[in-house]
Amino acid sequence: MTGPDAVFPRADALAKAVGAERYSADVTPPGCLWAGVRRAGVAHALITGLDVAAARATPGVVAVLTRRDVPGTNRQGIVHKDQPVLCGERVRHRGDPVALVLAESREALALALSRIDAAFSPLPGVFEPAAALDRDAPYVHPEHPDGNLLAYGLVEKGDAPTALADCAVTVSGEYHTPMQDHVFLELPNGTARLTPAGVLDMVVSTQAPFRDRFEIAHALGLNPWTIRVRAPYLGGGFGGKDGATVQCLLALAALNAGGRWVKMVWDREETFLAGYKRHAAVMRVTLGADADGTLRALTGSLLFDAGPYAHLSGEIMALALEHAGGPYRIPHTRLEGSCAYTNNPVGGAFRGFGVLQSSFAIERLMDALATRLGRDPAGLRLQNALGRGEPNAIGVTPEPGAGAAECLTAVLAHPAWTERAAWKRQAPPFTRRGVGVTCMQNAMGYGRGLPDAAAAKLELTKQGTFRIYNSVPDMGQGNASAFVTMAAQALHQSPEAFALIQPDTRHCLPAGSSSASRTTFTFGNALLGACRAMEAKLRARAALALLCDDPARLILSPGLVTDPATGAAVPLARLGALLPRDDRLCVDQFVMAVVENPPDTGRQFKLGFPHRFYSHGACLCAVEVDELTGRVRLGRCVVSVACGRVLSLEGVTQQVQGAAAQGIGLALFEDPALENGCMGAGDLSRYLIPTALDLPDIDCLIVADDEPTGPLGLRGMGEVGIHGPGPAIAQALFDAAGLHVTRLPVTPEDLLSALGGPE
Amino acid sequence: MIGAVYCPTSLEALWPLLADGAHVLAGGTDLLVAKRGPASCAVALLEGIGELAGISEGDGLIRLGAMASHATLARHPLVRQHLAVLALALETLGSPPIRAMGTLGGNIATASPAGDTLPALLALNARLELASAKGRRVVPLADFLLGPGRTALAAGEIIAAVVVAPPAPAALQHFEKIGRRDALAIAVASLAAVIATDAAGTVTEARLAVGSLAPTARRLPAAEAALTGQRLNRESLTRAAAAIREAVSPMTDVRASAAYRRQAAGNLLLRLTPQP
Repeated sequence: MTGPDAVFPRADALAKAVGAERYSADVTPPGCLWAGVRRAGVAHALITGLDVAAARATPGVVAVLTRRDVPGTNRQGIVHKDQPVLCGERVRHRGDPVALVLAESREALALALSRIDAAFSPLPGVFEPAAALDRDAPYVHPEHPDGNLLAYGLVEKGDAPTALADCAVTVSGEYHTPMQDHVFLELPNGTARLTPAGVLDMVVSTQAPFRDRFEIAHALGLNPWTIRVRAPYLGGGFGGKDGATVQCLLALAALNAGGRWVKMVWDREETFLAGYKRHAAVMRVTLGADADGTLRALTGSLLFDAGPYAHLSGEIMALALEHAGGPYRIPHTRLEGSCAYTNNPVGGAFRGFGVLQSSFAIERLMDALATRLGRDPAGLRLQNALGRGEPNAIGVTPEPGAGAAECLTAVLAHPAWTERAAWKRQAPPFTRRGVGVTCMQNAMGYGRGLPDAAAAKLELTKQGTFRIYNSVPDMGQGNASAFVTMAAQALHQSPEAFALIQPDTRHCLPAGSSSASRTTFTFGNALLGACRAMEAKLRARAALALLCDDPARLILSPGLVTDPATGAAVPLARLGALLPRDDRLCVDQFVMAVVENPPDTGRQFKLGFPHRFYSHGACLCAVEVDELTGRVRLGRCVVSVACGRVLSLEGVTQQVQGAAAQGIGLALFEDPALENGCMGAGDLSRYLIPTALDLPDIDCLIVADDEPTGPLGLRGMGEVGIHGPGPAIAQALFDAAGLHVTRLPVTPEDLLSALGGPE
Repeated sequence: MIGAVYCPTSLEALWPLLADGAHVLAGGTDLLVAKRGPASCAVALLEGIGELAGISEGDGLIRLGAMASHATLARHPLVRQHLAVLALALETLGSPPIRAMGTLGGNIATASPAGDTLPALLALNARLELASAKGRRVVPLADFLLGPGRTALAAGEIIAAVVVAPPAPAALQHFEKIGRRDALAIAVASLAAVIATDAAGTVTEARLAVGSLAPTARRLPAAEAALTGQRLNRESLTRAAAAIREAVSPMTDVRASAAYRRQAAGNLLLRLTPQP
């Protein structure tokens, strides 16, 4: 049984449903110490005094550490190392850490943290990215050579300014997308100890256990090979655990704990304060077309609010520029991007990684163009959808596959679209209904300049079952379960014959992070290689037991290797018992292919630009607007997706639904209320994510597709679904209420104003 | 942080605990959030005192025990049949777990301007039965709510019950809350209405109350007067809506601006406009 109709129960479902799965947060060794951080609480200031005597004297306190206790560079960051582990002289946002406390209990920890007396001399803050780039703006990093300009990039194709001047029609807009918190269920946390052998042994809720070792080692002056990181299943990550959260602080604590276990758990408010966020962005863009709607040129500039530290801001902006033309055929483009340092919360990785921001802008421009030309927005998109073999907005021809046109066509055949006129007519009193349909795309993998690699290890156990050594954390997206399905198919075994070892730098082979819609593709390919090696091995070893001189004719079946010529069979359990451990292991590795002849543009981007593989989709949102309150309810949501062949329909559907829900949150609910670097919505009573009652059923339509280089024909699709709801809801709100949405999230107040109120 | 926990099984056992400074813990949905800090706080649970949880009818009055949970009240036949405005309000309160734990007395004692049951209880002319070591007294809810988090509750006193005279069976009972989402949402604005009409459709008595639009949930006498003696139609409701906007004193916060709240407050009444 294969293909999208097959039902594979998720390998993680039962253990999670009964509460048996042990997340990092569940690891609390008896007698462990508790570590916590005192945070600045001011957005930009010099530290003028730090009195920790009272904290140190608090009963139950083991140590209070400050900048002076940090060995190494004291600088963390995935690529660009500009974020202090503990701040010594200056704090650059309200969540910056100034002191680390280790205590025997959480109560003693809380008391000691409250007794740290930190004195600050406030510095002028900079909270608007545009203002940050003014010549006379206060600098977030006075030593940075480009002032507050963290990163700049330009992508260009053809001659956009000239082409734009010749266009029959142009539309322009300034579009804003907000900062967004990941709101993963499992808070940033970990447990660590220094073993007698000098190994720093850590269990962390992390998306990048292998890379964490280097980030910690750099920051604290350690040898990365003395650090072991284990990454159990995560209770959500979405990019927010890609890059150090607790890691460096926890490692520093463990170095000062006398060999005892130390646990650190941020609470929800601390996570809002100190965790990474999706970058707020402002995009000024102009789209030009012929009178018949044929797109000609796109120009514009994108400005990202990086907060005070680089994280992957430049790389995120690069992806935004790469996707700024959408899945459309645009011959001439010129787009600039900038990232500004500010004293706002730290911008970082988030599902949709820059793509979400520029997707909103291009989709809004397409709607503006449709309005200008009196065209149906869906028809205009179909007319301009990028076909197979055509270069995209930066001049790369992506790998062929089903694209925006196929995805859009699938959604347009859904009753939510074909029966929309009747649905709108049946609106109850005080209710206006509208429907919007937009396209989406998201590249897969790291892109050029950074090997998107994974190595897989597969073990035949002595009992004749298998052990998969997973190297890319499963943060809930289901990759670990997909690996079981893949290996079971490849080796003709039942899924129950496979156990998963979750990422552990001691026992698993290195791989990149769980990110970039890459995990199932890259590790899956490596795993299938290991499965092929295992199959060959099992045949060859079984041939010995079966006295068969032609191993190729042997057949693998659940628990057995059989010789069809004689009918004789050898159980895998017997092979497992016979073989020494070295002979029971198979390994392989895979590196994702990159664009072979990249266009000469985006020269500023050394890492992660451009991309070769794309998944596509389309999204329909049907909204109901209450005329009296301006409240928006999403009546229907339909998402189509083209992501190669489908290994698990359930898995793809769950990713589409989860991504769409997160996109809906960004569009209608999640308002950080940022003011002077402070999140007005700094807890879950004010930062609202949609609940089950706020979400409609989300229909997922699979578009026939194939990716020949993918494991079993699949491509990654964990991110693409997040891009649809923002622009589709915006289009639907114009249909329902005539509101021109340029800024997310849309508030009831926006709608009440647009409707003019019944008075 | 919760320190010592006491579980008295009678009011007589409760009074000395309160005298010693223990906090009253009913459902805990507010208190456990408020007391998360390092300071230790002793609490006396009310859940062991059976007489506080009953729901009963007698002498033409319905008596709702202060310890009745929102979920229990929302599905109780007396509430559903006679106090629909309260049932509607309870259905919008928090989420299933909060409705299972939170109590009517707790929602009143917290005295949030956004307390979901408060406009409904005001529109029902609810009275509170307060108990202490000194005995009992009855106070109208409207006199009990003094400000955000401030009530007429004396030291050592608890809310024992809410007493309501059920509206005439034919009276219109209506509640609507504007939240920023459909569950676990603090009210941006809410309106409760209990409107009695005669056989000709003329309003004989209108009781209107709002939440999240003033320092306390409050009644709206001018809007009530604008409806009384009128038929419920677009004109009368529009006039009353204007009176609501005039009467409220909303604030701007992370959930909504004052201007939006004022506009929406009036609009909520227009929901009652008869449809052709």
